[in-house]
Amino acid sequence: MGMDSQDRLTFDARTARGGQVLAILGVAAIAFAIVFAFAGEGGPRRFFFSYLVNYAFFLSLALGALLFILIEHATRAAWSVVLRRLAEATAATMPLLAVLLLPILLFGMKALYPWTHAEALSDPLIAGKRAYLNKSFFFARCVVYFAIWIRMARFFHGRSVEQDASGDVELTRRMERLSPVCLWLFALTTTFASFDLLMSLDPRWYSTIFGVYYFAGCFLGFLALLVLLAAFTQAAGGARAAITVEHYHDVGKLLFAFVIFWAYIAFSQYMLIWYANLPEESEWIARRQAGAWKWVGVALIFGHFLIPLFALASRWPKRRKWLLAVGAAWMLLFHWVDLYWQAVPEASPGGPTLAVADVALFIGMGALFVGNIIGRLRRAALIPVKDPRLGESLAFENM
Amino acid sequence: MSSTSFDNTFQDPRRRAPLVLGGHTLASLTDRVCEVVERPRPPRAWYIAFAISSTLVAVLVSLIAYLIGVGIGVWGVNQPVGWGFAIINFVFWVGIGHAGTLISAILFLLRHRWRTCINRSAEAMTIFAIICAGMFPAIHVGRVWFEYWLAPYPNQMFVWPNFRSPLMWDAFAVGTYFTVSLLFWYLGMIPDLATLRDRAKTRLRFWVYGILAVGWRGSNRHWHRYERGYLLLAALATPLVLSVHSVVSFDFAVSILPGWHSTIFPPYFVAGAIFSGAAMVVTLLVPARELFGLKDFITPRHLENLNKLTLTTGSMVAYAYIIELFMAWYSGSVYEKFAAANRALGPYGWLYCLMILCNLVAPQFFWFKTCRTRALIMWIISVLVNVGMWLERFVIVVVSLSRDFLPSSWGFYKPTWVDLGILAGSFGLFLTLFLLFCRYLPIVAMAEVKNDLPRENH
Repeated sequence: MGMDSQDRLTFDARTARGGQVLAILGVAAIAFAIVFAFAGEGGPRRFFFSYLVNYAFFLSLALGALLFILIEHATRAAWSVVLRRLAEATAATMPLLAVLLLPILLFGMKALYPWTHAEALSDPLIAGKRAYLNKSFFFARCVVYFAIWIRMARFFHGRSVEQDASGDVELTRRMERLSPVCLWLFALTTTFASFDLLMSLDPRWYSTIFGVYYFAGCFLGFLALLVLLAAFTQAAGGARAAITVEHYHDVGKLLFAFVIFWAYIAFSQYMLIWYANLPEESEWIARRQAGAWKWVGVALIFGHFLIPLFALASRWPKRRKWLLAVGAAWMLLFHWVDLYWQAVPEASPGGPTLAVADVALFIGMGALFVGNIIGRLRRAALIPVKDPRLGESLAFENM
Repeated sequence: MSSTSFDNTFQDPRRRAPLVLGGHTLASLTDRVCEVVERPRPPRAWYIAFAISSTLVAVLVSLIAYLIGVGIGVWGVNQPVGWGFAIINFVFWVGIGHAGTLISAILFLLRHRWRTCINRSAEAMTIFAIICAGMFPAIHVGRVWFEYWLAPYPNQMFVWPNFRSPLMWDAFAVGTYFTVSLLFWYLGMIPDLATLRDRAKTRLRFWVYGILAVGWRGSNRHWHRYERGYLLLAALATPLVLSVHSVVSFDFAVSILPGWHSTIFPPYFVAGAIFSGAAMVVTLLVPARELFGLKDFITPRHLENLNKLTLTTGSMVAYAYIIELFMAWYSGSVYEKFAAANRALGPYGWLYCLMILCNLVAPQFFWFKTCRTRALIMWIISVLVNVGMWLERFVIVVVSLSRDFLPSSWGFYKPTWVDLGILAGSFGLFLTLFLLFCRYLPIVAMAEVKNDLPRENH
């Protein structure tokens, strides 16, 4: 099976314009959230928690995309070649995410991180971490993370687009050769970024598996996004012949596998802390089981694990594009709830509250994020048209 | 016929490397693999290895008899180190098994076709490693005649095992793992056993392989059922790759002992298990392919991929070491900090340094293709990795136990000659079983590899 010459491999002007509209909508929604938050509800502290949850959410999707690219190159995968451009465009939102981090760094540190308060240093546990948990080192780390992420995203997106024109096989070899080293960089930066952004919300608490937990969410979240992006691309008339039900089926399988992987990591963290019951660790869990928070935890067990476990087990839903898309949207929702459950109990220990800013910032950042992805996709073909493994990917069939 | 000088480790994205070398046809492949089983005598090296390994088994059996007769006081275990070699060896051997299941189940689901040439031997290794592993907790309980107490059966005294104990979970996890691995291995072997049956020249062989082949006729329906069953068992075995060593890690991580209680333990143990398992596959296959003339099927590419797997999982282990060290400092807990420092600077510090050398430094050579493809170099590294992973379990079990919160209860653990003898004996048992497997069962999954032969050779 060769490439279908009738297949349109670029976005039309309408879709491109839609992307620009989304960007404007995004800025508007964020502005609305700011005005609304400072005008009343919850004040700046709650606003920044909304901001952080949504930020960690979209960052995790871009990181998941980067990881997807790296793994596919490292394993010489062929099935996923037709989907790789979507991942590359998602990872290419890194500069946008760097800009979106600025409000946290400039205005949100005090609201979010107790270790920035002068009085926190009277706690010897927090004072002992000052060498790591201090503002200037925190900022420096963020610069390093984004320097690495932007560089990697640029490199893999850039070389791939370059190959569209030249068809040079050497580019594939270069990306494959570099991917293992990049995986190392990815693992360390993502882990420490998750410690910084999320774990240090409670500076007394620590968990060695936390980086893996965030990583599991990153990859699961991106796989769900990938289903939606592919379905959207095809609905907009792109790559209709290139991306087949076989590719959806395979993403569905990975999604299923990572639903289990996430649960495995989440269970490991919870069970080990619960069983040992050391006060410095279990207070984090206790806060998430106090009051109505425990129902969010229960919702995660069902929504993030048991329901998708059964819903995605058979091949039937995985081979139905729109059904799988519903499942993917569901997973994204619960990935968001997972991050909400990790962050917000620190701000409102009494029970979960849904602030207007939670939703408005989701819409705002989401619109900017998706608009940015569409903008990236518009500038090149929707699939890597001269990838040496493209033929294998187009002809791919599940047994 | 053999053209093993052909390099199939090239990296060309435009074409996939051949997985079988030497221009084999379906018939020549069958002949070559069956020849290992059918030749009247195995090579001389087999006899030498078997003599050594079966002697070690004799040592093992006598030492276990001695242990049961006298009691576990003949070991070096005492307060505060109540878990010595027995638990170290248990964790070590369970870990070795993991690569087999990863190769047979996970790589199958991920459609990594290179698995077909090595999955049979890797799975066999898994089974034998679990046999060695299971032995240790069994003899560690001291009164082996009460072993059946582990089984939760209704009894008139209403005494149940403690379901909150991770040791109990171990019994279930390892038991399930062994059962599923055995079924998976056996199911995959049925078509090949039927081939051996059909080629049998003696009555005895005909009957034995005939019974083992459970009436396989190679009909369309047989193949259909077989492939469904294989897929389902692969899917069932996949979570087991993660769960078994996770449960083993719970033995330590549910406690509050610094150095044991760490939430990263489950995935870290799994990565370490696959790390040592992949290295063990290399340790066994490098000589085996030489000895039995299987270089056309177990090619440089297979070995290179195994070495990449070793490097990948070794990197995960390195990641866990880094995070553990960082978190020991970040936690702010004096006990965590002490435990981390005590590993490197305490009385067992030299073992820790050796472990770092074997587990972190040695696999780094696999970044270079020369080291991934040269038999001698990879064999040495794979042995070092196994030494390192055994030492890692020693560091975790003994170093943490020997110095906990109270300096007045500290102690020093030294193994006795019985400990060392049983460890050596377990290697003897493992090797004996593997040698018997090589001699009497098809080492390469013929039916599966045939799918990977180039079409023109059919």
